Amino acid sequence: MSMIRVENLSKSFGSLQVLKNVNLTVDKGERVVIIGSSGCGKSVFLRCMDLLETPDDGKIFIGEDELTSKKADLNRIRRKVGMVYQRFHLFSHMNVLDNITLAPIKLLGLTRAEAEKRAEVLLNMIGLESRKYAMPEVLSGGQQQRIAIVRCLAMDPEVMLFDEPTSALDPTMVGEVLATMRLLAKQGMTMIIVTHEMDFAREIATRVLYMDEHGIFEEGTPQEIFDAPKKKKTRDFIHKMKYLSWQIETRDFDLMQLQGNIRSFAQKYGLDEKKAYRLQLCTEELIYEMLNYGKSDAAVDIQIQISFDERDKCTVIELRSKGGKYNPFEIESEDEVHLGVTILKHTAKRLDYQYDGESNCMNIEL
Amino acid sequence: MNIQEIIYKTLVAGDSYKTILKGLAVTVQISLLSVVFGTLLGMIICALRRSRIRIVRTIAAGYIAIVRGSPVLLLLMMMYYVVFAGSGLSATMVAVAAFSLHMSAYTATCFYSAINATDSKQVEAARTLGFSKYQAFILIMLPQAAKIASGTYQSTIVTLIQWTSVVGYVTITDLTRVINNIGSRTMQPLFMILVGLLIYLGMAYICYGVFDLAKKASELKKKRRRKM
Repeated sequence: MSMIRVENLSKSFGSLQVLKNVNLTVDKGERVVIIGSSGCGKSVFLRCMDLLETPDDGKIFIGEDELTSKKADLNRIRRKVGMVYQRFHLFSHMNVLDNITLAPIKLLGLTRAEAEKRAEVLLNMIGLESRKYAMPEVLSGGQQQRIAIVRCLAMDPEVMLFDEPTSALDPTMVGEVLATMRLLAKQGMTMIIVTHEMDFAREIATRVLYMDEHGIFEEGTPQEIFDAPKKKKTRDFIHKMKYLSWQIETRDFDLMQLQGNIRSFAQKYGLDEKKAYRLQLCTEELIYEMLNYGKSDAAVDIQIQISFDERDKCTVIELRSKGGKYNPFEIESEDEVHLGVTILKHTAKRLDYQYDGESNCMNIEL
Repeated sequence: MNIQEIIYKTLVAGDSYKTILKGLAVTVQISLLSVVFGTLLGMIICALRRSRIRIVRTIAAGYIAIVRGSPVLLLLMMMYYVVFAGSGLSATMVAVAAFSLHMSAYTATCFYSAINATDSKQVEAARTLGFSKYQAFILIMLPQAAKIASGTYQSTIVTLIQWTSVVGYVTITDLTRVINNIGSRTMQPLFMILVGLLIYLGMAYICYGVFDLAKKASELKKKRRRKM
């Protein structure tokens, strides 16, 4: 049976549509990681699953209970769902122990002794038993976040929602929080996690959702999403692709401006001097090769796209030139007339050529 | 005239001290009732100020702006000579009404900003654990807001006690009036003013002391539980 079922969920803020007809089914024991760029609605989607945002349309089921029903006993259903925030939000006027025992005592009817015993077991699990009388403000971010997780666990939830649990932590504390989450995963907890920690996502997820265009854009196993995403937008996000596009329509185009743009593009994304120079050189040679030899008529229509893969650190030049078929890479002789081709052949890692009927398409990896 | 004579003449002769105590009782009565009613009304205004309905919010904000913006003496005179004129209500009760209004506007502001200063996400976190809106407010927001509001609230009370010294304008014989009367009768105004100042000062510190004791008691309770 499904743990969480979302049907045709839509949500907008004013005129801003965030989610549109989103469907999702999460089974018991699944660990779903939601990724996507900032503002794609992944947090809103997660918050909807605990009805912290009221959907405009659609239904949400937690187990057999419909959360979005008007008759739903929200307070009872929410006990089954644990929510962990980016900024912890521990009750600041209570010590650690009270933070953890408050809900079990007041809502589950446990005695103080029972609740404290339960809290101590949980604190022991995360190695913070010695801090049980500390106030939240004296604890580090990582400790606070682990206690926030334990505060949810004390209610014995069936599913845990994590909204960027490590985004507000400094790097030295991310590890301890992720370790606690791994522990939960090991115990078979159903988890839905919104995160930017890609390595962690790949390791812990049973399913990865990439969110874009108001919904789940692509989903699959971690291998499918991280190693072989099917859609371009997913690939762009996973590889953190950066693009520079340029259009040439006349023979006397502004080469200096193009070179300047390539240079600032390279600087912006931290490409080294040598690579930036090669990028400029190859682009220039390729353009002039096509302008001088690849054109039968006067009309010039060349499109250039330079892309930089921030994850794998590779740079690709793509060039499309309209006109008759002309493949510069077929030229064998290393004569001085086609010096540009020679340079390209020696600097590029990979050269591809294709003719699609009206344009010469070249793809060069540096 | 030496100091003993002055003290005898002003505070003892003709049961002066009894008159002073009577005046003090009136001041305490007006202050206490105004604090109680003003605080209750302030809570209601604060709740309205936080209403989901816009018009209610606006009305509450308007009330606060008007009452806080008008001098308390004019408020008192308007109550006495216009609103409750001929109603048969005693002057003291009219004063209580006027000071309650004054107090309510200040406490409403005090509570409102204290609540705003708390982390609303903690309330949300409580809701995700399964607490009702009411429980989350009582258990999470209120204790934190009370701590933030405490200081401002205490000074609001002390300021109110001091402001009650103007009730003489509407025929009430309060502490200030009594002090003034004795001062003129015995030709010792300076001494009596000093006596009056000391009594007001005493009331202020009793007020602060009560809050301090309450705070210490709650801390003690926490500590004791920890030892168990």
